[in-house]
Amino acid sequence: MNEERKSTPDETGELVPATISELGRLLAANAKGDRRPVLPIGGRTSLGFGFPADPASVEVTTSRLDRVVDYPARDMTVTVEAGCRVALIQESLKLEGQRLPVDVPLAHRATIGGAIASDAGGPRRFGYGTLRDYVIGIGCVTVDGRRFKAGGRVVKNVAGYDLCKLMVGSGGSLAVVTEVTLKLKPLPTSSAMGWACFDSGDTVGDLLGDLATSRARPVAIELLGPKAGRQLAAESRQELPAGPLLLGVAVEGNPVEVEWQAGVLDRELRAGGAADVTWVRDGDTAKLWSSLTDYQLGGESPVTIRACLKPSRTVDFVVAAIDAGVAVQAHAGNGVVYGHLPDDTIDAQTAAEVIEPLRDLAVEGGGQLVVERCELGWHNALSMWGSARADWSLMTAVKRQFDPEGLLSPGRGIEAALQQLALGGVDQ
Amino acid sequence: MASTQPVPDGIVPVATELLTRFRRLLGDDGVLAAADELIVYECDGYVVEKKAPDVVLFPTATEQVAEIVRTCNEFDVPFVPRGAGTSLAGGCLPVGGGVMISLTRMKSILEVNLQDRYAVVQPGLVNLHLTRHLAGTGFHYAPDPSSQGACTIGGNVATNSGGPHTLKYGVTVNHVLALEVVLPDGQVVELGGPAEGLAGYDLVGLFVGSEGTFGICTEVTVRLTRNPDAYRTLLGIFETVGDATQAISQIIAAGIVPAALEMMDQGIIEAVEAAYGFGFPLDAAAVVLIEVDGLEVAVDDEAERIIRLCQEQGAREVRRAETEQQRALLWKCRKQAFGAIGRLSPSYCTQDGVVPRTKLPEILEFITDAGKRHGVRIVNVFHAGDGNIHPILLFDERDEEQIARVFRASDEILGKCIDLGGSVTGEHGIGVEKLEFMERMFTEDDLEVMASVRMAFNPRGSCSPGKMLPTAGACGMEHIERSHPGKQAAS
Repeated sequence: MNEERKSTPDETGELVPATISELGRLLAANAKGDRRPVLPIGGRTSLGFGFPADPASVEVTTSRLDRVVDYPARDMTVTVEAGCRVALIQESLKLEGQRLPVDVPLAHRATIGGAIASDAGGPRRFGYGTLRDYVIGIGCVTVDGRRFKAGGRVVKNVAGYDLCKLMVGSGGSLAVVTEVTLKLKPLPTSSAMGWACFDSGDTVGDLLGDLATSRARPVAIELLGPKAGRQLAAESRQELPAGPLLLGVAVEGNPVEVEWQAGVLDRELRAGGAADVTWVRDGDTAKLWSSLTDYQLGGESPVTIRACLKPSRTVDFVVAAIDAGVAVQAHAGNGVVYGHLPDDTIDAQTAAEVIEPLRDLAVEGGGQLVVERCELGWHNALSMWGSARADWSLMTAVKRQFDPEGLLSPGRGIEAALQQLALGGVDQ
Repeated sequence: MASTQPVPDGIVPVATELLTRFRRLLGDDGVLAAADELIVYECDGYVVEKKAPDVVLFPTATEQVAEIVRTCNEFDVPFVPRGAGTSLAGGCLPVGGGVMISLTRMKSILEVNLQDRYAVVQPGLVNLHLTRHLAGTGFHYAPDPSSQGACTIGGNVATNSGGPHTLKYGVTVNHVLALEVVLPDGQVVELGGPAEGLAGYDLVGLFVGSEGTFGICTEVTVRLTRNPDAYRTLLGIFETVGDATQAISQIIAAGIVPAALEMMDQGIIEAVEAAYGFGFPLDAAAVVLIEVDGLEVAVDDEAERIIRLCQEQGAREVRRAETEQQRALLWKCRKQAFGAIGRLSPSYCTQDGVVPRTKLPEILEFITDAGKRHGVRIVNVFHAGDGNIHPILLFDERDEEQIARVFRASDEILGKCIDLGGSVTGEHGIGVEKLEFMERMFTEDDLEVMASVRMAFNPRGSCSPGKMLPTAGACGMEHIERSHPGKQAAS
């Protein structure tokens, strides 16, 4: 898992430590010396998320921390350094018939440390959960260069506080993740995805309700708007049905399980109003999985939003987003929805007019809506995270314990969201 | 067993004024303060260390819990939450005395939402009562500790409880979406929410397993899990413990993740058979209870593969539970095995270590040797698929010398778990029992970071002092004197 070797630091001032100890020394030196803000970097796939980084930050890249530390395949765990590319890890696991069943966007570039920091996930979160369910041990370096760990290498362990959970989704704002132990699952030998289109949200809503008690156990339930459907079909080079609402259900397992479930779901989709069901099977699903996962990032769209809400409220949200011209992709079984605003969204004001009514729907649905990514310069004119939730002040208390001076990923996480609200810089 | 009678310096008994305030808040019926009534609360399932609280309170609403906490702070008195008191690590021990907040009267199921697969419950709800309430819906609450007939969901949250079926379905933290929490300063805050994937830190994940040191949870939103389409329950019977653990290793290595994979050795079989009369062969060295679940079209094939693997490892016989009654009885034998131990010995001490699953044969051999070396009889019943061992050390608590040998053997076994790359607790928690092991598992920096996280929630250290971390609570509470540190006995 070797990346190109770089000097430390390189010409741009970026720090590229070759070992975790070196990373610790560099951060300790920074804390004692210049006290520059520090921005941890993995595969650079999520850097556009959230608020922009402080331009004065020194980038600390984990690309050389790319060792597989231990892979006791028979224990179904693997310990890797944070800079390992996710796709390369998956390739090693595949040799043993195992995998980490979490979809990570741009997995060839994304590092496992970055995936953890950004809580990367995708369509199969419905069947397998998210990274928080798989990180059983973690090693980190604090902004002042102290190494610490939590959890361990065994699948069941309640010794000490579960800082693994805290690091997943922390956006590199608490500590630099350097090493991680993952719990693994067997690699299924077969898979199938059925796609069908529908004219009305009500039909889809009823069908999703019925699918919740299907004898089949789908691992993903995807609901796409027409624009997202077209783009994904093109991207994955698959002939998917075209229509106002495109529903995809996927199953994995051994061939017998997959065949049986595909039969059940085919009948259920048709009974639920689908005129036709297009099935994509086995090898052909690979490209679709990665397209579905990467599509979340939004490509060239000026603004990408992510809403989470109760699953039963998803269809209404999706329909409203489609009506507002948004390219929508929902992990409908989970109530996690990605939306990409149209190219003709000319300014932040126009974007806010689309976003805010949708945000109200998400909040009413028991969740929230965040702006994941937007054009430079729009951050201050858009409410990035919306109104404060009850636990945000506790989050800032945690942040201050790890990083009292706010040197780590400054301006990007919870503190920036709160600061934005405090400044009243947006229309809230 | 001799109990300690600690009288920590600087702890003032709960003042009359404080009691008056509590009685006004909760009514006489919500306050226990008489010494003879407090004795019940001097320990949980970990009976080695005892300390009665100064008062036990029974709030019935979140706002009462918050008011209790604010009042405790006003009087500078420590407080500790308690569920059913089934902790095996002293998680409910009121270190330093003070106020015990029993959540057992907050036991309602507030909402069941099958469409969105969650339920909202109060913390005092007994785990099994939720599952019973869900019967017929096609959904269940997955974490199923063996004490599920008594333990509460709030207690499960505090210790991140496991159970036999967590092999496939994960432990408590994998099934909690949101918590309403009374923070140690008396504020009520909602962590997480019924929607998944909220932005910001995963405080729910952090709170679960914090053993009451981050606050008191007053409402839990749990994820509900679909019932399996089908299951098959098998019983592998083995001539040697080594064959049984090898079979378990082979099953996991073959990429099969059964719903449960539990082992009982000959010593425990003897007690369980006498108690429940399942028909276990008394001459077998070990039995392995294996449950596979999944689709009806797939479970038979998976069961066949497991049977073959067991036979290849020299299983004498692999039986199937042919009826629902047989399955229920098998599970009863497993889950209530601890209840049968009284037939073997007046007292026992259950340990809770974890090793990588492939190290099971090694740790089991070590346990046998440790028992021989120290002249202690040890029987085993445990979550084999997770590598989570529960050696049960048998003794007579009237014999101090025997107790000392039990402690030495326990120590060595847990030390060996660490050496093999494992942990000193898989599901029972650190509590007060295993505090001294924290420094063997973690570095000073690890522990400092953990302590700093606690500071964000519990800066005064007044909530559940003396738990989880080997550092004293911030308000200067001395740890209670321990006559038998690092050990646990339940009887």
